[in-house]
Amino acid sequence: MIALTKALDRWFGRGEFSITVPPLDGAFRANDALEAAGVVLEVGAPDGLAVTSRGLLASCGRKLIGINDPAAPAASFDAEIGAVAGLPDGGAAVGLVDGRIVFLGGQHDSRTIAAHAEIRCITALAPAADGALIVANGSATYAAADWQRDLMAKRASGSVWRLAPDSGAWSRISGPLAFPYGLIDEGGAIVVSESWRCALTRISPGGRVRPQTVVEALPAYPSRLSRGADDAIWLALFAPRSQLVEFVLSERRFRERMMAEIDPAFWVAPCLRSGQSALEPIQQGGVKQLGVLKPWSPSRSYGLIARLDGSYRPTASLHSRAHGHRHGVTSCLEFEGRLYFTAKGDGVVAALADNGATQ
Amino acid sequence: MNRSPQALPPLLEMKGVGKQYRGVAALKDIDFDLRRGEVHAILGENGAGKSTLVKILSGAVTPTQGEIRIEGQKVQIAGPALARRYGIAMVYQETSLVPSMTVAQNLYLGDEKFFNRLRGTYIDAQQFLQSLNFPVEPTATVQSLGTAKRQMVEIARAVRLKAKVIIFDEPTATLTPEEKHHLFALIDRLRRDQVSIIFISHALEEALEISDRITILRDGAHVVTDEAKAFSRETIIRHMVGRALSDDLYGRAGARRAPRPAGAKRLSVQNLSMQNLVRNTSFSVFAGQVTGIFGLVGSGRTETARIIAGVAKRDSFHGGDVRIDGRPVRYRTPRSAVGDGVVYVTEDRKGDGFFETMSVADNVYIGKISSRSSRGPFASRGESRELAARWTKTLNIRALNSDSRVIELSGGNQQKVVIAKGLVQSPRLVIFDEPTRGVDVGAIAEIHQLIGGLADDGLAVVVISSYLPEILNLSDRVLVARQGRIVEELSPDQATPEAVMFAAVY
Repeated sequence: MIALTKALDRWFGRGEFSITVPPLDGAFRANDALEAAGVVLEVGAPDGLAVTSRGLLASCGRKLIGINDPAAPAASFDAEIGAVAGLPDGGAAVGLVDGRIVFLGGQHDSRTIAAHAEIRCITALAPAADGALIVANGSATYAAADWQRDLMAKRASGSVWRLAPDSGAWSRISGPLAFPYGLIDEGGAIVVSESWRCALTRISPGGRVRPQTVVEALPAYPSRLSRGADDAIWLALFAPRSQLVEFVLSERRFRERMMAEIDPAFWVAPCLRSGQSALEPIQQGGVKQLGVLKPWSPSRSYGLIARLDGSYRPTASLHSRAHGHRHGVTSCLEFEGRLYFTAKGDGVVAALADNGATQ
Repeated sequence: MNRSPQALPPLLEMKGVGKQYRGVAALKDIDFDLRRGEVHAILGENGAGKSTLVKILSGAVTPTQGEIRIEGQKVQIAGPALARRYGIAMVYQETSLVPSMTVAQNLYLGDEKFFNRLRGTYIDAQQFLQSLNFPVEPTATVQSLGTAKRQMVEIARAVRLKAKVIIFDEPTATLTPEEKHHLFALIDRLRRDQVSIIFISHALEEALEISDRITILRDGAHVVTDEAKAFSRETIIRHMVGRALSDDLYGRAGARRAPRPAGAKRLSVQNLSMQNLVRNTSFSVFAGQVTGIFGLVGSGRTETARIIAGVAKRDSFHGGDVRIDGRPVRYRTPRSAVGDGVVYVTEDRKGDGFFETMSVADNVYIGKISSRSSRGPFASRGESRELAARWTKTLNIRALNSDSRVIELSGGNQQKVVIAKGLVQSPRLVIFDEPTRGVDVGAIAEIHQLIGGLADDGLAVVVISSYLPEILNLSDRVLVARQGRIVEELSPDQATPEAVMFAAVY
């Protein structure tokens, strides 16, 4: 009976097979707030942010760069950086794409912990209250840079791990998850942003309690989480959802052929920056303005940061719209009263005064 | 030599006219006169006696006292047919057309020849409607038309009968600003042709704009009649309600309250589609807020609300998603929606809102037994009375008693019965569609207070209205619909009349 219902739903495009996208309204009402942010750093593809005793650091490729002194990198590595986190002792933990964790500063300074065999896609790190490090492994199959393939393959093979820095012991907390890309430790629980579910999920550190959805139906793919002032939580969302992509996600054979035959830059998939090549796919449409029908195509990239309250309910948002220049926001962090964020798609680290609280 | 209308004897006179229902006076000793070629507005709160007065003129109700003279001749208007013979036509607030017949057939209803050539009828109707600037297809069935177009057919029918007196009962309630402009131009043309117009409206600005004279009734009695230029909005309200009603019924600039903060997302509409009426529309509604949806007639607001409430069905193929508290729902009947706490208060209260020949108590109780909180298979007379008493008091429904039939109530009180019928179902999401259409200023204030109170109590409230001041006054968020989809969201501080109207039109 369930199979029949599912088959009917698939045929009619309803229920779980409906090709719909949550609207950008309410707390997600569009604005141009991110465009007003001042550029702090223009560099390749900045990704993560961390507050340490050396100030605010941004990860970019193989380097950690101090926001206040971009000319002299704070650290360089022999592999790309997947994620970075500031630690309570003023140090930083750096997760490399090959799965190693490197500590800089603090009590574990210069220590490198070897990768676990199952971890090859570090996407986020967060210090736990007991001194451990929580590690998000986005995918069991693909590297972090291959996130589009993970989405198009409709994988949910990510996991969250606990690393004891003293012993170097890894323990798996939760999985499978649909590309965990952000972490926040709540003491008794961990909240994970699951990108491909467009949701935030609460998991228990011991992994004994079933994961619980905290927020779902986000209008974009979420990435990293950070705490702000007044109990607020900042959530970066790195790419928008669109009906076209949702449709492609429902078409298995199309996706398989697309992945096999087409350059990933030209897939019908979300991206960190679109509109740079005439060969990119576009969704054609029309919009009538002042009585004139104009061609229109939704962008595959966007810039979005959401402010959540203590119970993870979205209360406000900051946007860089289709015409904007702050697309592909992968991290945001409050530091010294300003909200810093990395627009990876446009290669900038920018900051908003007054924490963007006026939005 | 032309004589001014004042110099001519009145076309129609009423002297000491009264009407009693079961010993209760609905109309008391009314003196009224209508000059040739004048537009005469009759204003008053609901229950003031306006409808009774014009029903007497149109032959729908027989007066219990007084006399009526037409062109000086004393007449008895014993029925609508006789009224038509005397040259009195009525354009009703809720249209009286035959839904299954075409526009042309309705136009010529009661005036058919023995042998009718349908094609000829359609051609005549087409030419006639075009001459009035009404964009209505004569071959369309009335049931396929929206409320505004039905109103146009009703007006066209009255004009076609070459009536000497045309009574318009709330003619502009469903019209867009452009259509209203056309109607006023038409009324002006009729006035020049020496047709007399009785104009009933709750939009006081319209009465001041269009009418030559104004008569105000209160509690079934005549209060004042004077030239329109002698009145202002404030003096009209004072005469209507017998007290100086707060001028900021629809809010005063700079004195707006702070918007309520949004609670949990109660309703999420995602890419909803229904033919070409609702086109891939998306929006959310939050608990603890009033979400106002403004749009011109035909913008798909009502259709969207009817899909959400299970009254209408979305497209079968890829019709989109409706989620209540995050759960996808697809209601096949309103009862399922009511079970989930979704209540739709209809814009067409007479057609869909209540059973007019049943009592207030029975109507409210029907609301209760259609919800899942109803107990057992048997109706309880005691529970019915108790509910009616409670809701009559809560909503200040003015009826003789709870056994009064709804048809005997004024428009505002009928609307309150419809609201009570919805609220008795303990909703969590209430959608009000044109909640104050055809409701007087006193009742409007009460209904607005009620709507605000529901949001304060944590309910998610949606108000759909074509009346911009109502949307601006009530809403914590303003959504604007155009051509079947929500095209703009405005916060209260952004929602100026210009901004909202621009989004609605362009």
